Amino acid sequence: MSNRKETIMEKMTSPYKWGMVIDLDRCTGCGACVVACQAENNVAICEKKEISEGRNMQWLRIERFWVGEYPDVRVRFLPVLCQHCHDAPCEPVCPVYASYHNPDGLNGQVYNRCVGTRYCANNCPYAVRVFNFYSHEWPKPLDNQLSPDITVRSRGVMEKCTFCVQRIRRAKEEATGEGRLVHDGEVQPACAQTCPAEALVFGNLADPQSRVARLSRSPRRFKLLEHLGTHPSVYYLKGGGREHV
Amino acid sequence: MSEPTLSAAKSAGQLNDELLSSLRPPTRRWYLLAFCLGAVVAWGLAAFIWQLTHGMYVTGKNRPVMWGFYITGFVFWVGLSHSGTMVSSILRLSQANWRRPILRAAEAMTVFCITVAGLFPLIHLGRNWTFFYMIPYPNQRGLWPNFRSPLLWDMTAITAYIIGSTLFLYLGLLPDLAVVRDRSVGWRHKVYAVLAMGWRGSAHEWSVYHKASTLMAALIIPVAVSVHSIVAWDFAVTVVPGWHSTIFPPYFVIGAILSGVAAVITLMIIIRRAFHLEEYLTPLHFDNMGKLLLVISLLWTYAYFVEVQTTWYAHEPIEWEVFSFMADRYTIPLLVMLAGNSLLPITAMCFKRLRRSIGMMLAVSLLVNVAMFIERFLIIVPSLSHKNMPFAWGSYTPSWVEISVNIAALAGFALLYTLFAKFFPIVALSDVRELEARKAGVPLGRVRVPSITGEE
Amino acid sequence: MEILGIFSDVESAARGVNELVRAGFTEAQITSLTSVPYPDGVLVRTGRSSWFRWLALGGGLAGAAAGFGLAAGTAWLYPVQTGDKPIIALYPTAIICFEVALLCAIIGTMTGMFLEMGLPALGRRPYDPAIADGCIGICLAIHAGGEVVACGPGDESGECIGGIASLSSGEQISRAEEIMRAAGAVRVIGGGES
Repeated sequence: MSNRKETIMEKMTSPYKWGMVIDLDRCTGCGACVVACQAENNVAICEKKEISEGRNMQWLRIERFWVGEYPDVRVRFLPVLCQHCHDAPCEPVCPVYASYHNPDGLNGQVYNRCVGTRYCANNCPYAVRVFNFYSHEWPKPLDNQLSPDITVRSRGVMEKCTFCVQRIRRAKEEATGEGRLVHDGEVQPACAQTCPAEALVFGNLADPQSRVARLSRSPRRFKLLEHLGTHPSVYYLKGGGREHV
Repeated sequence: MSEPTLSAAKSAGQLNDELLSSLRPPTRRWYLLAFCLGAVVAWGLAAFIWQLTHGMYVTGKNRPVMWGFYITGFVFWVGLSHSGTMVSSILRLSQANWRRPILRAAEAMTVFCITVAGLFPLIHLGRNWTFFYMIPYPNQRGLWPNFRSPLLWDMTAITAYIIGSTLFLYLGLLPDLAVVRDRSVGWRHKVYAVLAMGWRGSAHEWSVYHKASTLMAALIIPVAVSVHSIVAWDFAVTVVPGWHSTIFPPYFVIGAILSGVAAVITLMIIIRRAFHLEEYLTPLHFDNMGKLLLVISLLWTYAYFVEVQTTWYAHEPIEWEVFSFMADRYTIPLLVMLAGNSLLPITAMCFKRLRRSIGMMLAVSLLVNVAMFIERFLIIVPSLSHKNMPFAWGSYTPSWVEISVNIAALAGFALLYTLFAKFFPIVALSDVRELEARKAGVPLGRVRVPSITGEE
Repeated sequence: MEILGIFSDVESAARGVNELVRAGFTEAQITSLTSVPYPDGVLVRTGRSSWFRWLALGGGLAGAAAGFGLAAGTAWLYPVQTGDKPIIALYPTAIICFEVALLCAIIGTMTGMFLEMGLPALGRRPYDPAIADGCIGICLAIHAGGEVVACGPGDESGECIGGIASLSSGEQISRAEEIMRAAGAVRVIGGGES
């Protein structure tokens, strides 16, 4: 009995709490992160029709806002991906545990369990969960670039940003093999790796010395829809300058 | 409240003949009706198979509106299923004698409505073929379903309600089945004999039966209330603006009773006409049902007012956004809803003459249910369209597949009901005859007034 | 063994019951078969208290336990963290307990009712389809006969039959048939042939 309890406790605690800081001052809205995410995670390539129907498959979107009146118009960008909330509204509503909380603080999504109630997407205030309305195919030769690390999701299944969990898994396995913890900066999701302006910084929030933890203590920090009490793992750093007033 | 009286005292045999007239061999018109309903159901089935083989893109859903007409249909049919419990159990417990001729119609309606409702959550799944992942049984996946999800509460409650209301219907049918058994021959006799379980109507059987009916009526009411509260919690426990509201469970239960009572009235009119039961379903019954409708409609109006005025006065930005989007995009449905659920029933049902007019009752009861469907839709869709992130706002229009499935659900309900009415007594025979047996004219002054003997 | 008299109306049936009781048969032996319920005492008395409600209560308690097992037990068997909710969450557990408890109470009520009624009845029992059309059956359970089951001062009427039990069952049947016919029975079933 106590043995079982120990294994459960071991399963549920972790020295990692993955998080991200997004510096809005640095984001240029180039969209490289969106493309990188798509390539890394076998995210379906959508046609114009699909996108116009609001069935776009992007796990990460750049929200574009116009600020000011013509001619003094500026554009601001807000990259929005899964916020990996600590109190994630999407998780408890899933009847089959397809959406669950991983000990590292990730919002896991187990595609094979998903029956497609779409309740999680309704309850996600950030609207970052995407549903496979269509069954997607990768025309040749694009199918050659599919990553073998990740399932290709069938239609009827919900999917979402995982912070590139396959990369995290690999880094953790290597570190465990060498008997150490994952170093800061050793693992990065595709979006953060690709960002030319380094607007996206990923790391272990449980380590107070990590870059992400230090940035998350910036006075410019805020979280999306903080008032809902979802406790996201993604921090945003407010951009400076008059255009954000 | 005065009791319904038959024009002349009738013998038990005559009563049996008249009340069981629906069991006579089907006519050509009956076959035609069943065929037409079957055809609509087949069309809906074809639409569902189309969705099954193609994918959810054949519906109008998108990001962010992930629920649409299917869940609207689900909530609507769960609501309708409250008729049987409310009309039957509450009136049974309060010993209102006028309930007797409509008991069966209402109880059967509950069973078929909740059956139809239970199909919607399965139809709306992205991967319908894996629906059994949600059923709790030890499986090779090593995984139990998540009982913290309101969908599992739903499933448990609806299972309880389907089984409970079916048993309740069967309990009411038991003595009637014995009567039908005694009056039938051939294979029908065998089937009814099995269903009647050898009921003889001994004094002991009746005594136990009455105690059991009362207990069942008392047990089914909390189930009914909890079923619709849980359906409301599907919405209320989320963080979606417009859904996250503490008044939802009572508001949904009141809405459910409103649509249920209206549907019973509609069915009473149809059954009365179809089986020539004018003598048993008298204007008095419609009068009483009309009063019930008036009370429930007033309650609904109160609940809606409370819900909306809180949003209005608090003016919390996102809540207000959802409300103003709803009022702006769906102005006409909103007005139809307010007229059908509140304005029309409240004004019309105040007048005795209108309550006793069959045409008026049909119009009001149909409009109430149209309005209730709109109400479910206006709760579900506008909230999802304008959630917290303005960048991801959207809208929803139902597709032909969703509309077909919803129409087929209505036809499927009607088909089940038609079949039921052909094979089982649609008027609670024993209950009606019990009243006739206990009725006597008592002279009082210059008149004879009807009097009902009863126990304490 | 039972003997059944069919009466066309309540009055003659009630007369028959009175005559039977006067002849020495007891109320506990007599029951009425009717297609509509009559208030207790109109034809016969069923003073017995019923026990099936205990089965409903038992069902409810078992259901509550089953509901707890479903909601809390399965969550504990395979704990998965979701949305910072406790593994065994009070609110959902209470809801599932409530639903399953009521379901099982309903099933318990129905089962208990049938058990107490003794249904489904497998053996052949005297019955007449005319009962469905409003006739009233008075059914008398015949004592095996041959010995006097004397009534002591403390006995309830169900436990003893008295002098009439000293007659053989055949004689009891013919006596009862005679009484019922005199009271106005249209026909008597289970009597004449045996």
